[in-house]
Amino acid sequence: MSNDKNVKPADQAEEQEYSLNDDRRVKVLSPGALIAKRFFRNRLAVVGLVILVAMFLFSFVGGVISPYGQDETFSTMTELNTQYAGITETTSLRYTAAPDAEFGALVQSKANSAINAGETSFERDGVVYTIDQPTPDLYTFSQGGQVVAYASSNVVSVPAGATAPSFEFQVAAITAITAADEAEEPAADAPEVTEDGTVVVESDEGDAADAAAEAEAAGNTFEVDGATYSFDEAGNVMDGSGTVVAMVSPFVMSASDGNTVIPDDLRQALLTAIEADASEVVYTDANGAEHTYTISYDAYSKVYNVTETTENLVYDRYASPSLEHWLGTDGNGMDMLTRLMYGGRVSLIIGFIVVFIAAGLGVIMGGISGYFGGWVDNLIMRIVDVFYCLPSMPIIIILGSAMDAMRLDPWIRMIYLMLILGFLSWPGIARLVRGQILSLREQEFMLATEATGISVPHRIIRHLIPNVMPQLIVSCTMSLGSTIITEATLSFLGLGVKFPFASWGNIISDVNNAFVMTNYWFIWIPAGICLLLAVLGFNFVGDGLRDAFDPKMNR
Amino acid sequence: MASTNTTVDVTSTQAPAAPGTEDIILEVNDLKKYFPIKGGMFNRTQGFVKAVDGVSFKLRRGHTMGLVGESGCGKSTTGRTILRLAGEKTGGQVLFNGREVYDFTAKELHDARTKMQIIFQDPYSSLSPRLPISEIVGEAVREHNLVPKDEFDDYIDKVMEECGLQPYHKMRYPHEFSGGQRQRICIARALALNPEFIVCDEPVSALDVSIQAQIINLLHDLQEERGLTYLFISHDLSVVEHISDAVGVMYLGGMVEYGFTEDIFRNPLHPYTKALFSAIPIPDPKAKQNRIVLEGSIPSPANPPKGCKFHTRCPFAKDCCKEIAPEQKELEPGHFVSCHLYDE
Repeated sequence: MSNDKNVKPADQAEEQEYSLNDDRRVKVLSPGALIAKRFFRNRLAVVGLVILVAMFLFSFVGGVISPYGQDETFSTMTELNTQYAGITETTSLRYTAAPDAEFGALVQSKANSAINAGETSFERDGVVYTIDQPTPDLYTFSQGGQVVAYASSNVVSVPAGATAPSFEFQVAAITAITAADEAEEPAADAPEVTEDGTVVVESDEGDAADAAAEAEAAGNTFEVDGATYSFDEAGNVMDGSGTVVAMVSPFVMSASDGNTVIPDDLRQALLTAIEADASEVVYTDANGAEHTYTISYDAYSKVYNVTETTENLVYDRYASPSLEHWLGTDGNGMDMLTRLMYGGRVSLIIGFIVVFIAAGLGVIMGGISGYFGGWVDNLIMRIVDVFYCLPSMPIIIILGSAMDAMRLDPWIRMIYLMLILGFLSWPGIARLVRGQILSLREQEFMLATEATGISVPHRIIRHLIPNVMPQLIVSCTMSLGSTIITEATLSFLGLGVKFPFASWGNIISDVNNAFVMTNYWFIWIPAGICLLLAVLGFNFVGDGLRDAFDPKMNR
Repeated sequence: MASTNTTVDVTSTQAPAAPGTEDIILEVNDLKKYFPIKGGMFNRTQGFVKAVDGVSFKLRRGHTMGLVGESGCGKSTTGRTILRLAGEKTGGQVLFNGREVYDFTAKELHDARTKMQIIFQDPYSSLSPRLPISEIVGEAVREHNLVPKDEFDDYIDKVMEECGLQPYHKMRYPHEFSGGQRQRICIARALALNPEFIVCDEPVSALDVSIQAQIINLLHDLQEERGLTYLFISHDLSVVEHISDAVGVMYLGGMVEYGFTEDIFRNPLHPYTKALFSAIPIPDPKAKQNRIVLEGSIPSPANPPKGCKFHTRCPFAKDCCKEIAPEQKELEPGHFVSCHLYDE
């Protein structure tokens, strides 16, 4: 009865040479090798694999090779002209009335015509005003011996923070100063005007008392209400301690920036320069820093514009591709290519970790659910259903803004992001694994393991898991692509990876307006291409793996 | 057919003691296995599929018992219930070497697994596709520590050779084998544990005829070498006739006729057995075949007919068949029939 057909007697060796029996077959392929073979036959899958390998090299090796850091910024020193101040020369008379006097616009026009006609008094509404001209540039109008207004092309202005001077003080100051101007005494410490029209001045703040003393010595003093004030030829009026309380000058100087206080010596230098027709002022401030001011006269608005020339550190924002920066720089002046490499690193690592978390949770939950069945299965599947009902995008957005509010460290934030994405994506894998295990459990080889008394852990590890692996690998590969897309979306919305970490998503999010999009293609096109290629690669490889795992495919 | 009482009364059930009463390895008394039908809102049990409903027989060591019947009559479930592979039994007794299988503790059951084995019908689904043959055959051997580690390889080689496999097959995977070879691997897997009793659950029905003969002969040889006991489940009567010492005929979960192979094939008594045997093809085109054609189809095991389960299709059904389940009667020595036709 014994069947000898398959058991070859030893003396039939010759026949074996030509037989098609099993032992003649040279190549023995394990299921894994077969899958690999089928995979590499699939051209698209190989293309996908090549793309992925290139992406990995680009991201992980590229970042090491690149000479620049992830958040290294690049900048250049540039001379910048900024508007510093405007100086206007008053040419017409300006009327100022005493605080309690009536000296309206109609009275002023009457006064004007009286002055032009050379009259010494005029009448308006039955009131007679007497015109005095104490100095050529000052007219005072008295009514019954009381000065009620004055007119001058000089303006009394106060330094920032000082109280407005009284009317009497104004009259006295203008009288004294215009009288001094008439004398045309050259000032001892007037700034020198060099031949090329540049005024060089050094700050001498701090010896204000000296300046007051000097002015007193020059006899440039006047008294108002019992206090003695001195003044210099620039029109600065100082009290006894040398503090500037007012400035009298036909020039009205105002800083372009309201916060800037123009130092008195600079002011004087600028006025000197204007009088000397110099176009440049080099000023060394109290800290020893040298500033260069350029004065230009705008005939139309009759304003002298003072511009300050400063050396500025300017970030190379949106620099075009060059030899140093192959893909240019982004809006922060960082090297785009390096940023892209590090971004790839972050995107890929996040993709892998998220899928790893999801797969781990999914396999454990799905495995328990499928293997034990019953109420455990019911419970886990209901949890999965609940997770399916959760709208993941709103949750991620809410959690993202919560993390914004908590001002988390970008690094911690990245970890939370991975955990959140992982926790939200395990149900799909759990369902897949459960389905697989349910169908495998009914296979006879599982019954055979029970019949041969193999322990439950061994049954799961050696028989169930290896048979679930193919579907699991395919599903994980596919979800890698979608996870990267999700991460990019979140980063684009500003809820994902944050600066200083780069990710392809937040690189693209730099392009938040049409101007950047249309003018700086090198910002977003490379990141977009990287994203496209990586996801395409994962999908190709996933498709290839699925086909390779399918035994119905041709070998 | 034995009593259809759902209550388990072991003592009242007199299992037929044939063939031979000495050295009984397996005794099955009024075995019942019902599968609940779940449904409705809260997954309540709405009824039972009575897959095995009162099967009794005894099996002598070194003998083969064939279990025949049409598809869905509960043959496979009987085999699996005996091996405690289908969850808990519903009722009855399974005595393996005199001990109740369902009373084994986890440890005892684990040890008993080496003594009783099963060979499955489908050699394609019964081998894990991701393990090499040496693992499939040897895994359980290692699990039970049957052989020392250094003899392990030799032992596996030996078992495989016994089953007609070559040692170089060890590193291959199931997909590289034909159906017959796979069934040999299944046999090797069962045999590697050195069992006393093997349930052969339609081991050849998925194979073509020439391979069937090889496998049957292999099983036969192994039985002679090792003194194995088989419960041979099949719907192929000629195979059963060839290999079995005794035959049980099952219909709708119950055993209708049971006895020595020669007796049953020579003189089938139950109308169902007669009909079944009349369907055996005769390899002679000129021979006239008196086929007994049964009317209707097999009733649902979830709702079996009252009385004799076969009465709905029996050409000789009497009134009492519809009411009273027939007792199992020994009409010849070692030939048991459950039918009212033989009532005195």
